[in-house]
Amino acid sequence: MSDSAGLVVTGIGVTTAVGRGKADFTRALFAGEHRFAVMERPGRQSGTRFVGAELPAPVPSARLGARELRTASLTGQVALATLDEAWTEAGLDGYDPDRVGLVIGGSNLQQRELVLAHDRHRAKPHFLRPSYGLSYLDTDLCGLCTSAFGIRGLAHTVGGASASGQLAVIEAAEAVASGRVDVCVALGALADLSYWELLGLRAMGAMAGEDHADAPGDACRPFDKGRSGFVYGEACAALVIERRGARPEAPAPYARLSGWSVRLDGNRNPDPSLAGETAAIRQALDRAGLTARDIDYVNPHGTASPTGDTTEVAALKACGLTHAAVNATKSITGHGLTAAGAVEAAASLLQLRHGRLHPTRNLTEPVDDAPRWVREAAVEADIQHCLSLSMGFGGINTALCLSACAA
Amino acid sequence: MTKEKTFSLIVDAVREILPELAGHDFADTDTLDALGANSMDRAEIVMTVLEEMDLDIPLVDTHGPQNLGELAQHLSDTAAVKAG
Repeated sequence: MSDSAGLVVTGIGVTTAVGRGKADFTRALFAGEHRFAVMERPGRQSGTRFVGAELPAPVPSARLGARELRTASLTGQVALATLDEAWTEAGLDGYDPDRVGLVIGGSNLQQRELVLAHDRHRAKPHFLRPSYGLSYLDTDLCGLCTSAFGIRGLAHTVGGASASGQLAVIEAAEAVASGRVDVCVALGALADLSYWELLGLRAMGAMAGEDHADAPGDACRPFDKGRSGFVYGEACAALVIERRGARPEAPAPYARLSGWSVRLDGNRNPDPSLAGETAAIRQALDRAGLTARDIDYVNPHGTASPTGDTTEVAALKACGLTHAAVNATKSITGHGLTAAGAVEAAASLLQLRHGRLHPTRNLTEPVDDAPRWVREAAVEADIQHCLSLSMGFGGINTALCLSACAA
Repeated sequence: MTKEKTFSLIVDAVREILPELAGHDFADTDTLDALGANSMDRAEIVMTVLEEMDLDIPLVDTHGPQNLGELAQHLSDTAAVKAG
């Protein structure tokens, strides 16, 4: 294990349907707002009425020229705006670009835009724009972001299905811990699904939504007995990670990255694994030098999957975490898929800083009474240590411990 | 398609792909390099014009012309030959 001591988060950027920028996002979190509706973005429906949470029109980053804006995908535009917020807060302008890195969490990120391009050129493929040869790659986002921000240290994508965002945080932390770079930004990228992915996810029984088209606000119900699967939500978040005290100009950190873990189930399927989840939680706690009793708050994966939620509750119980407060950020944002782990790490950090925990929407009849749920209203909370969890299809389990910084 | 009409299509494509040139007064002697187009921009501009002309030729066949006027003449001539 590399040394995780002293790694901190000094900048956050967030873009979700309920809030663009962390001030809006934080307000919406504590108010328990939602923007679930029948989705309208071109390429999202095909004789369907999928429910999800779509972003308002993105506000382009001022770092992007009109020429780049024309060819930047929705995923790219949102990544730039979100990265801009985190970058600016951390004060990275002027820092040695060779010592700054970027890890983007997610794969197959621009599916809707690809479907639109395919549809446009289906009858005349020989006129497909040359830029498609570049833009179909997820790593085009690395090019877009590194050129806009002058990043020269490292940049790559990491794929971990719905754990991608948290995996990016972990990989960025490892990059700083190992000395590859001084500062690394982890970005959970917006997974821009087309109707094809939505149809596939519906067919496999993972996703709720269409049956709630007339009452979209009721569709997303993590940990509730009435849940029927996840509800998609467009989202993106960026976290700036560095060693505490390494840059005099760095702002006061949100928290310390005290421990983390990535554990695999050795299972290609979407099935959750109690053994894998408990292993990830225990390893992250060990690495942080903490016991379960030290954890005040858990931000769970909580997709509202029928078996995923009960397995996760079983993992919390098996790890001795029933005393900790638990809410579900996805009840407010929807499931950001590749972005979720980064968005939820950001939500955890913002709650830690504000000393408050957000409510869990639609948690009217919990699947289990054991966790200390935060239900219909935000509550005050002195959080010293929290745990954020992400799980991805293919047996990918990640856990992240975040600890308040001693003064 | 006349050279003049083709030139107009090229100008439209350049303005779409390089929006900062919206107010530029284009001339035959302008070159894409001098206008600030990178290699991807140049390919996008030419492909946009080829689609507008419904002219299915390889991009490599458009690499000879040295400026916008020559490109317009070349594409106009090529379209005429293809049309028989």
